Amino acid sequence: MNTLNAQRSPLPWWAAGVLLGLVQVLAVSLVGPLEVSTQFVVADAKALEHVAPEYAENHPLVSSKEYRQSGYGWWFNIGIVLGALIAVLHLRTWRVRTTTVWLQRNHNAPVLLRLIVGFCGGVFLLLGAGLAHGALSGQLISGWTQLSLSAVPFTITMFGCGMLVAYLVYPRGAGEDRRGR
Amino acid sequence: MSTPIVGLIMGIIFGASVVLAGLTDPDKIIGALRLKDFHALRTIVVFVLVGMLGTWLLGFAGAANLKIEPAAILALLLGGALVGIGLGLSGYCPGTGLAALASGRIDALFTVMGMLFGAHVYVLIYPSIVVPLERILNFGPVTLPQITGTSAASWIVPAFITGAAVLLVTRPGRGTMDDRKTHDERNVSLAASSRPSIQTSPAFATGCLGTVRMFCRWKNFLFLIIVLCLLVLQASFWLVKAGYVGVDGNTSGNNPVAAGAKTQTNETAGQIVSDPREAAAAKIEVPVKLPWKPNPVAFDITFERVALLLRVTNAVLVLASVLYALVVFFGLTVSLGGRFRGLNHICQAFYFSLVALVLLLPWQAVSGSIVSGAIYTPGELAGSCSTNPGGTFGEALVYMRFTGYWVSVAVILVMAQSRSRRWSKIAVRKLKNAIQTNTRTQAPASQQSEGV
Repeated sequence: MNTLNAQRSPLPWWAAGVLLGLVQVLAVSLVGPLEVSTQFVVADAKALEHVAPEYAENHPLVSSKEYRQSGYGWWFNIGIVLGALIAVLHLRTWRVRTTTVWLQRNHNAPVLLRLIVGFCGGVFLLLGAGLAHGALSGQLISGWTQLSLSAVPFTITMFGCGMLVAYLVYPRGAGEDRRGR
Repeated sequence: MSTPIVGLIMGIIFGASVVLAGLTDPDKIIGALRLKDFHALRTIVVFVLVGMLGTWLLGFAGAANLKIEPAAILALLLGGALVGIGLGLSGYCPGTGLAALASGRIDALFTVMGMLFGAHVYVLIYPSIVVPLERILNFGPVTLPQITGTSAASWIVPAFITGAAVLLVTRPGRGTMDDRKTHDERNVSLAASSRPSIQTSPAFATGCLGTVRMFCRWKNFLFLIIVLCLLVLQASFWLVKAGYVGVDGNTSGNNPVAAGAKTQTNETAGQIVSDPREAAAAKIEVPVKLPWKPNPVAFDITFERVALLLRVTNAVLVLASVLYALVVFFGLTVSLGGRFRGLNHICQAFYFSLVALVLLLPWQAVSGSIVSGAIYTPGELAGSCSTNPGGTFGEALVYMRFTGYWVSVAVILVMAQSRSRRWSKIAVRKLKNAIQTNTRTQAPASQQSEGV
């Protein structure tokens, strides 16, 4: 069970929130609000340029300049991975993990199920992020910090559907066993 | 300053911050969505508030590089739903997924692979589905202050108040779970405090069981009444909106919500009255406009009948909602007194029932157009359905007011009912076990005394 322990948060919630907020403010002052999901489409655009160049040339989205260059956003995403790795190594919390406490408590499922569920979740995430022009960083956080109208409907359905799906997939609390104790 | 090196540095800072915030743990995200672990939610609230304040201040200095996304409402609703589904399934978002990948999580690797596949699907469906979808109800890249004609401060101050309320409600307190503990530590503390929580007297346990069952019967009955009233409310809106019930010119803003209620605010195109007493004094009436013809053959329903039904429904709904919240509160006090398990469930149920009650009450009767409740009067219904809403945005506001608000209240009520149902199941099971245990332990003692 030790390998399934949920991670302890290094910072308390208020300090973490302030830190992330300051990062957002720095980003807005230097370049623009934080966004991550767009670069996944850029990655796909780059792949299409090599695999199907004619299709990429004629596609209304992929052929645009924004999705052809490896600029600020591309290196931002690479920096996220590097920065997380640095922090994890510094905190000495790097460990191979494959599943979650919630899935184990609710379904006692094999690792393969967690990987499949994660993959499916990723598909939904980027589909939704594409439609909404952003996910948590790009639409929820950056939208609300700019008081954008687009953040309102996004927030409502994101939390609504997220809570509903979490309740359906993980009905029992992580502290309870199957008998509800 | 949009250069790759700046992007790399900003990414490093952001990635490290996400790890330090503990947001790379999918258990915390799922716990937040399950309303069990509020660390991630509190962090995000503070994140948004600090970012909002900083961006606003940067705006004063002319140093804010903004990027407002277009408000294509339908695409946003659908996109938000899909992101929510993905978040609920995986426990990651794109940013935290990348950061979790670096911390050794194999499930994050598969989530990132899924995101790449999702991006490919998005590219494939972009010309045929996304482009037409984004043309529907698209208000363009606008902000809330711009579209409402108000200042940014008038949004930031309520945002801070709302954020503070959320932080207050979800704060870790004595006797509650410290969300920084690991799950094993929580289980240990739960086990240590899991002494028998129901008193061993069989008479007490039997009395509690009867009380809980009575509470459940009344709660379910009131919930049914509320659901029926809500359905009537929504049906009346759609009957009028779709034109099956015509609005005649005699309806005015003076229809009471219930006996003794104050007059109703009337809102017409270009004529907003903030004080209901002024509306009554000015005798403002709904403009006479008959865009639909009633169909007496198929539906022998006149607006007068709908108005009468609405008044009765509103009265019953208000009373039932108040009683529902009181009954749930009663269950909470019984739970506290009997030291039942599942206290968090009944607490949540009470909280949700209170929120639903507050959102239901017709505040527009006392505050004018400042605050509205989900309950609407016949005058308000007639006024909204018979006048020109003023473009697509006005139309959307009408639907949000009469349907969106209603959906929110319905969802919150369902959550209250599900939480209370869960509590009652746990309480009944524990009480039955306690009664059986007490009966078994007392039976051998009585048999022994009879044998002497």
